[in-house]
Amino acid sequence: MKDIKRVSPVVLKSTPVKTENRNNWEIVMGYKGEGDGPYLIDLTHKQRFDYQDSNLGGQKPFNINIPEIPGNSVLDKKILMNRMNNTQASIYNFGKEDIAMPEDSGFTDVTEATLFVALVGKNIFSICEKLTSLDFLNPEKKAPFLFQGPFSHVPCQIVTLSKNLENHGLVLTCSRGYGRDMIHAILDAGKEFGLKPAGEERFNHFVSEL
Amino acid sequence: MALTITCPVCGKRNGYEFKYGGEEKGPRPEEKDLNPQAWCEYVHMNKCVAGVQEEWWFHKDGCGSWFTILRDTTTNLEQEKKEAKK
Repeated sequence: MKDIKRVSPVVLKSTPVKTENRNNWEIVMGYKGEGDGPYLIDLTHKQRFDYQDSNLGGQKPFNINIPEIPGNSVLDKKILMNRMNNTQASIYNFGKEDIAMPEDSGFTDVTEATLFVALVGKNIFSICEKLTSLDFLNPEKKAPFLFQGPFSHVPCQIVTLSKNLENHGLVLTCSRGYGRDMIHAILDAGKEFGLKPAGEERFNHFVSEL
Repeated sequence: MALTITCPVCGKRNGYEFKYGGEEKGPRPEEKDLNPQAWCEYVHMNKCVAGVQEEWWFHKDGCGSWFTILRDTTTNLEQEKKEAKK
């Protein structure tokens, strides 16, 4: 029997110099001429779950406490837990290894239903300003935090991972069907800032420094 | 005039992120002894207040919450409401 092939909705025109095959995803670890940032990184192969429960506050999936206040996030053991509202949380696994989804019926694996990209490096918030009115540098918000709102007119979940001037970074997820147009919009907005596609290694390095 | 709406989950946002859900008309009438005219009035008839009214909004581009706010229909400005902050 042949293996399935899992395909990201993101198509980047740069030339890959290093790739890896993991869980039937072909993952680009690095591109030719990535430059010194800012970077757009395809992370669609990273696991993502939605979790729904009427008593969300009392749950501790993957041994991580779900934040009490909607909009707050917590990054622990390379797992990002985002409180969406009173009954829902989203979970992103930044690790290289897949984690087993709990058997609780409240979990849904949305990895292949959504687009997942990261923007890392200098000027990323200037790029975002061209695409959304959401205020990522709001001094009242402490990273990591979740925004649910329109980005390039598409409803998205956006988690700001770092507002540190030396190490800006955020991840963005939306419905898979918007993938091609979303990437086109981000690359077009980032042209004047030198935004270029980068491989997963850049993101792994960024997360390890958080 | 730009409308901003305060979502109980996401906070103050641009009005274009929301979908209007109609006037707040109180609880659905009891089905017992409900006649077609009373049902029709509940569903279709609106007060269309020129002033402050309570109304439903849906955060379609955000968290997906349904909630009510007070809005002055003459100025298109949201009014303070304790319940909206919950």
